[in-house]
Amino acid sequence: MNESITAEIRDKARELLDSEQVDCVIGYEASARDGARPAFIYDPVDVDRLVWNEHCVHNLVTYLHDKKKPQRRGEEPQRVAIVVKPCDSRAVNVLLAEQQIARERIYVIGMACEGMKDAKGESQERCIRCADRVPVIYDVLIGNPPTVDPPPEDYADLAEVEALPPNERLAFWLRQFDRCIRCYACRQVCPGCYCTTCMFERDDGLWIDAGIELEQKHMFHLGRALHLAGRCVECNECERVCPMDLPLSLLNRMLTREVEALFGHRAGREEELSPLLFELGEDGSPM
Amino acid sequence: MKFVTREQLKTWLDSLVESEYDVVAPRDVDGKVLYRPIGSAEEVLFDYERPDLSAKGCFFPATEVLLRVEQQGSRVTQEEVLPDRQQVIFGLRPCDAHGAAVIDALFLQEDPPDAYYRHHRERTTLVGLACPQMWEGCFCTSVGGAPDDATHLDVLLREVEGGYAVEAVTEKGEAILEGLTLEEREQKPGFSGKTRFLETVPVTEPEKWRPLFEDKIWMRHGERCLSCRICTYVCPTCRCFDVVDRVTGVRGGVTHIERIRVWDACTSPNYRRAAGGHNSRPTKPDRLRNRFYCKFCYYPEDFGPLGCVGCGRCVVSCPVDIDIREVMQDVAAAAE
Repeated sequence: MNESITAEIRDKARELLDSEQVDCVIGYEASARDGARPAFIYDPVDVDRLVWNEHCVHNLVTYLHDKKKPQRRGEEPQRVAIVVKPCDSRAVNVLLAEQQIARERIYVIGMACEGMKDAKGESQERCIRCADRVPVIYDVLIGNPPTVDPPPEDYADLAEVEALPPNERLAFWLRQFDRCIRCYACRQVCPGCYCTTCMFERDDGLWIDAGIELEQKHMFHLGRALHLAGRCVECNECERVCPMDLPLSLLNRMLTREVEALFGHRAGREEELSPLLFELGEDGSPM
Repeated sequence: MKFVTREQLKTWLDSLVESEYDVVAPRDVDGKVLYRPIGSAEEVLFDYERPDLSAKGCFFPATEVLLRVEQQGSRVTQEEVLPDRQQVIFGLRPCDAHGAAVIDALFLQEDPPDAYYRHHRERTTLVGLACPQMWEGCFCTSVGGAPDDATHLDVLLREVEGGYAVEAVTEKGEAILEGLTLEEREQKPGFSGKTRFLETVPVTEPEKWRPLFEDKIWMRHGERCLSCRICTYVCPTCRCFDVVDRVTGVRGGVTHIERIRVWDACTSPNYRRAAGGHNSRPTKPDRLRNRFYCKFCYYPEDFGPLGCVGCGRCVVSCPVDIDIREVMQDVAAAAE
């Protein structure tokens, strides 16, 4: 545990709650199993539960969706402070651009980040690839960002799959999707997946039925990835939470690379909508 | 004790594969250990920990066709689809057999029994392999099980020096062993000494759960829940399902429809959504609380057994560290 940084987070949380600037602080608490886990602090007496360490892998921005509605009818929604890493912070920008959250209701505690490790102490793949050390949006920055040369963009693993002839590439993916159990953990953890009714979970089964079979899983994963094109912030939480170890980052990063090449857009770096999201005017052209 | 070598077991498994049986066994599937059908004994893992998914899908498939319906104008024909294959599950861990017994309480002991489930169960022989030790997250000994518990199996194998001790537990088990030459040995099977029993997890009696419905435990653990379905789908006792119809094609003026049963999960937001859109469990803590009440209060009260066999899969696969052992400790403390 990084004690001085933990102390800074606790002080800030205490200040925000004491002054009633926010109703809730979403951060991390110690976990015997994983090192850290999400925590929701409402009372200043609880702020000492908050910690900061190398296991703070979770992207907490996904929990902001639970705070959009008031707890009770007629009340205001809660004002929330949220601890974010650089990758997580990009999701804040995406949600602001998509008008899912109101800036004035969110206090962003930005963390300088050197990369996170899994419970076994190994650096996460996403962190090895990442050069961001400071969140793109914050109200307070905690920690001293190390200065590092950004690693070159590395798509070697993706290139390997792309080099396969189409039939073999399809076979590769079907083999991966075959393990999927349709638990929706990848969708649930994603800050960008917040549709009230997921198109893959409609009662009428318009796009795919409820079956947990290869055909539905195939469709679900391609659809999920495409819906995040230009919106995925590369936090890679979907891959981390997958109980069947599907290499979902390959799909996400392929689309990230394509969107950047075609539109010069990288999700959440600025507060702007994905170029693939637009409204059509009455004549059918983008407004 | 009856003794058999691993090579003899493999030969026997191959003969079962050749016969009328579908043989399911733990296999390495791209790094995951899963109970899957085998085409040869070479695919079978003998040294494995706890398979990443339970075996419940072998008799309660994630997707099962219940009826095939053909509709042409006003003429509708229906065909019931009942499974008829015999299957052997080899290398089943005792907790997974225990899990099947828990599901039996709902599907078989209630009247009427579930025809589909019964067909699968009657046609399934469970050949277990005792765990040589307890694994990360396991607590079977706290909920009535043990790493070498033969109770719910047809055959129990235990690893011993040079091979396996074989115990036929049921008549079905004796029947499946007919093709296997067993050697009589003096030695008694016992644990190799590797077994370590983890700390005991307290189980609180169902009636003591009632006053805790509004306890802060549920907010504290439930708020970080993602409302995904991992815990329920990896669980050997979760047995909730949905039944839906799907059109599989229209050919020659005939609409082909399947009525399917698919796994469902109480942790999922729309599980409790009723007609008109009302949801009686609108929040994550509401839903998580139900999962634990189902296991330790409702299910034992309604059907008998606890809804948990201590396999520990939900513990190790939850992405936000919702640990059933911790929840049970909190419940026990609050019930004091």
